[in-house]
Amino acid sequence: MNLQRLAINDEGFIFDPETGNSYTVNKTGLFIIKFLKEGKSEEEIVKALSEKFDVSEEDARRDLVDFMEQLRLYGLLEGENV
Amino acid sequence: MYRVAVSGINAVDNPGPGVGIAKGLKEGSLEVSVYGLAYDAMEPGIYMKWLFEKSFIMPYPSAGEEAFIERLLYIKSNYGLDAVIPALDAELPLFIKSSSLLESYGVKTFLPTEEQFKLRGKDHLPKIAEKIGVKVPETRIVTSYEELNKALEELGFPVMVKGIFYEAYKAFNISQATSYFNSIVSKWGYPVIVQQVISGEEMNLVGVGDGEGGHLGFLAIKKLWITSLGKTWTAVTVRNDKLFSLAESFVSNFKWRGAFELECMVSGSDVYLIEINPRFPAWVYFAAGVGVNLPERLLKAALGLDPERDWNYPAGKLYVRFTDDLVTDISQFQQVVTTGES
Repeated sequence: MNLQRLAINDEGFIFDPETGNSYTVNKTGLFIIKFLKEGKSEEEIVKALSEKFDVSEEDARRDLVDFMEQLRLYGLLEGENV
Repeated sequence: MYRVAVSGINAVDNPGPGVGIAKGLKEGSLEVSVYGLAYDAMEPGIYMKWLFEKSFIMPYPSAGEEAFIERLLYIKSNYGLDAVIPALDAELPLFIKSSSLLESYGVKTFLPTEEQFKLRGKDHLPKIAEKIGVKVPETRIVTSYEELNKALEELGFPVMVKGIFYEAYKAFNISQATSYFNSIVSKWGYPVIVQQVISGEEMNLVGVGDGEGGHLGFLAIKKLWITSLGKTWTAVTVRNDKLFSLAESFVSNFKWRGAFELECMVSGSDVYLIEINPRFPAWVYFAAGVGVNLPERLLKAALGLDPERDWNYPAGKLYVRFTDDLVTDISQFQQVVTTGES
């Protein structure tokens, strides 16, 4: 997964050492990326999101799918689904 | 103390590499005195005495080999000169041709051969691609409207229209392509290069080939901010294995000697070679700044010393170019104008 090579700081600044691109993410994005990097499944992340941010699993899943689509668009995530 | 002359000290909006080279040399381990070679009394490097102890106005390379060599030998006999690092495209053929002669007078260079230098022509890219197994954009070399139209039909739009050495435009239709073709022909002559547009990340790599298939270090960057003239003002170091293997293949296949810059497009897992420059780029100080002092390594190679070869620089180092100013006396300018040196 391309995510593994990313340098991520606690403020949500992300640097890709292979392409030189940098990105910023908010707290939620940072939360998701850290879980993805750890190889957590979509279901695990949905549960964690729902607990941490006090939203329904349905909302959490929708946001997660959305965010992962963004990551794919930037070439940071490969494949269809984790 | 080594005395080394560096050209390209025109630190203007289209900056030459000379100031960056001099900064690298000054920060290195060798004790050096750097001389600036200029073509105009207004070149800012002349006035940067902390980098260039002395500067000399050179005859244009078009004035011929004799006048050029004579000027270098004048510097040698009056002030001492151990090596020259030329940094401008227009001078390179002359320096390459005269390198043995200069060497016989004790002035060292570390330059590509005439054959290697010719590879920089964009019309050679497809041949290079074949030899080193790298992708290049689909390229057509055209010398007439008929050929231009045929190339446009084959490649479609948008398309790049380029001079063989300088200038490049993106054309979105036939009338734009024809107008760029005419403008390039009137400035640079034939042939004109018509090239497929590759989308992806633009990355550049600077290196020094050792002439035996190895190299003295690479540095790869992604440009973050360029000026309207396309000059790098902000950049970040990257470590991209595909780019490194392309550069290694280039150096080992052509046994490249001296400085070079590769301009590439990285598109997913593909790396396309867009251009080869047979000299240091203007941002070469970036390499010295992250511990890969390519200007000094090249100087060491020229002097027959053993240069370092490590290039384990970190990704994520930032390069910021800025403009600066200084105040001096008109007498400095007068001296350059009247005596040709300062």
